[in-house]
Amino acid sequence: MKALKVLALTLAVGAVANIGRADDKANPGPQIRTIVRNLDNPSGIAIQPETGHIFVSEHRGVLRLSPQTEEGKKGLARAFEVNRYPTDIYGKGPMYDVGPLGVAFLDVEHIIVADGSRKDAEELVRVYKVGTTSAEKPAKEDSAVYTLGPITAGDTSAKGEGNFYGIAITNNAIHITSNGDDTKGWVLRSQLKDGKPGELEGFIATKQDVQTDAPCGITVSSSGDLVVGQMGEVNVAGDSLLLIYDAKTGKLKKSYETGLSDITGMAYSPATGKLYATDFSWAATENGGLFELTISGDKCEARKVCELDKPTAIVFDDKGNALITAFGTAEEGSKTKPGHIVRVPKKLL
Amino acid sequence: MHRAWFAARLVGGMLSVLLFTGQSFSWGDEPPGLPKVVHPNGDVPSAKQIALGKQLYFDPRLSRDNTISCASCHDPKKGFSNGETFATGVRNQVGGRNSPTVINTAFQRFQFWDGRAGTLEEQALGPIQNPIEMDMTLEEVVKRLNGIPGYRQQFQDVFGTDVNSEGIAKAIAAYERTVLSGNAPYDQFQAGDKSALSESAQRGMKLFFGRANCSACHAGQNFTDNGFHNIGIGMDAKEPDPGRVAISKLGGDTGAFKTPTLREIARSGPYMHDGSLKTLSDVVAHYNRGGIANPWLDEEMFEMKLTELEQADLVKFLEEGLSSSTYPNHTPPELPQ
Ligand code: HEC
Ligand code: HEC
Repeated sequence: MKALKVLALTLAVGAVANIGRADDKANPGPQIRTIVRNLDNPSGIAIQPETGHIFVSEHRGVLRLSPQTEEGKKGLARAFEVNRYPTDIYGKGPMYDVGPLGVAFLDVEHIIVADGSRKDAEELVRVYKVGTTSAEKPAKEDSAVYTLGPITAGDTSAKGEGNFYGIAITNNAIHITSNGDDTKGWVLRSQLKDGKPGELEGFIATKQDVQTDAPCGITVSSSGDLVVGQMGEVNVAGDSLLLIYDAKTGKLKKSYETGLSDITGMAYSPATGKLYATDFSWAATENGGLFELTISGDKCEARKVCELDKPTAIVFDDKGNALITAFGTAEEGSKTKPGHIVRVPKKLL
Repeated sequence: MHRAWFAARLVGGMLSVLLFTGQSFSWGDEPPGLPKVVHPNGDVPSAKQIALGKQLYFDPRLSRDNTISCASCHDPKKGFSNGETFATGVRNQVGGRNSPTVINTAFQRFQFWDGRAGTLEEQALGPIQNPIEMDMTLEEVVKRLNGIPGYRQQFQDVFGTDVNSEGIAKAIAAYERTVLSGNAPYDQFQAGDKSALSESAQRGMKLFFGRANCSACHAGQNFTDNGFHNIGIGMDAKEPDPGRVAISKLGGDTGAFKTPTLREIARSGPYMHDGSLKTLSDVVAHYNRGGIANPWLDEEMFEMKLTELEQADLVKFLEEGLSSSTYPNHTPPELPQ
């Protein structure tokens, strides 16, 4: 096992985005930093087991971010692992070009990509084989070892599903959130047999359970339940729900109002077991950020950890530091893309 | 709840957000199929306050020339709308939008087609001061009502003060929260009475929640997602009504309007924010065509190729399934002198 972990990677990076902390030059302490810039609408993030490399899905494809091996070079080396996806547009204004939306590792060699680059009823979930070092040449979008879906118009979805986004993996299955069919709001499932993913099928029609659209962020709790962040309407503030589902039966165990507007990503800290959610807050992006969600009884409390500019996904490294992708806001005249990754150290969570 | 949320964020504090049910108080009057009514700050209004609100709602003396009451444009006989394309206010002035129903507004996150008001309290004083609706100033209406001993007495009884604008808003809103429609054949069917809906309405219901895609937006117990969508209505006009974008400033909200409830929909035509569709068949035909094309048309709008029979079934579901035998058929109360 290689010893390089994300913590080590971040030592090499530059720019600091100091959010809401007093500047103490002598001893700055742990800080929230932007560790990667110039990404094009990044919406998924995963850490490769063993290598600790960061994988990001964004409009153009899936990128690997790994420590520089060339001497004198700073920051993280970046290389596309998969590219040449089609482009889809999300939103009516603002509009975002999107491609593959979500990523997660099935094992060290297999990365799952929830794709949003096509039209509803044509979207796919792909599983690619990846190495432990950067690919010499990016793989083509269609070179997956497994292709799951599409969910075409039929009994599962009258119009066909799409906008595959969040990924949660249990021992037995891969779960994918989707928000193309707003009458169903499917959490799709592909059951694993001998490590091989089976057919992609409708599993939980969240909309029919809670009457609110768009499951997006998804993770698995320590007790094995599926924890789903329901985005709700993008132009309605405060309508995001936190849903707890039995992963075996697909039965809704609990639904909580969170007060958040558009939950995109969800993850538990491996260090503390606490649950975190990113809120894109589409209609008022100044309210977006990282939140800690605490459940007590029938209530869910949301505590803002920090502001973020259109956050889309969250992953924890094994030390308990959070890495979050965000669309960011384009600066006028800038040639670089505003998408970035923010690292929130464990101490500030 | 929103306000609480944002206020809490402003002070940076930790906020506990209550579950919908956690916030409700036993009101007891909601017909089956509806959620519990939530009252602002949990203040359950007294029967006296509701009766006062009802009088105010039906009283044309709240308008400049004593001709127009809330009920003129939100008439119980016309599904709490007014049967016209556009609303007509004092001196026969005609506005630019269709009167939405007041039924089940208790459950709405936003009021008005563009959602510019949140609570019913916020909304209630608007029409009184609107120059083409009731055309009064708050000062004038307060003065006029204080001159009516019956009102003065009731305000003293209910609020412990003379008539004031806050009390007017509170009383009217309390009354509006009693204008509820539930326990429709649809609810009875859902509760297990399989004879509650005709075959045709059942087929229509299946389409509504399936292939016809209606429940993508008309969802939940009040048949609305409380969101805003551009379904193309009026987008072919010379100067289309901008709708929600005027409030939210989000480009994507151009031509978007609030998803209305569909309960008692058979009673409240003509339909849409501009009253442009006369019948429910016209409405279904509009959706079947995929709406009216424009750059902001919602993704959930597309050509559906429903057959004539399927369209008729959908209309049947709306008419039969969502019209309740316990319709709030309120009649005007005796007004104070
Ligand atoms: C002249 C006709 C007229 C009168 C009088 C009038 N309204 Fe309205 N009402 C309208 C119209 C038109 C709208 C929609 C306006 C818009 O969305 O911009 C509306 C909207 C509303 C809404 C929001 C409903 C929804 O679903 O968004 C409520 C509640 C309401 N009115 C209550 C009242 C009350 C209470 C009064 C009396 C104090 C009143 N109205 C008087 C025409 C009228
Ligand atoms: C994309 C979201 C969306 C979908 C899908 C949708 N609606 Fe609507 N509906 C709306 C909105 C928004 C309005 C108000 C639009 C306006 O006035 O411009 C509306 C208005 C209506 C009205 C008029 C209500 C009134 O009080 O004037 C009816 C009836 C209706 N819809 C029925 C349906 C049926 C039946 C379907 C399925 C065939 C459907 N809707 C699908 C969003 C939707």
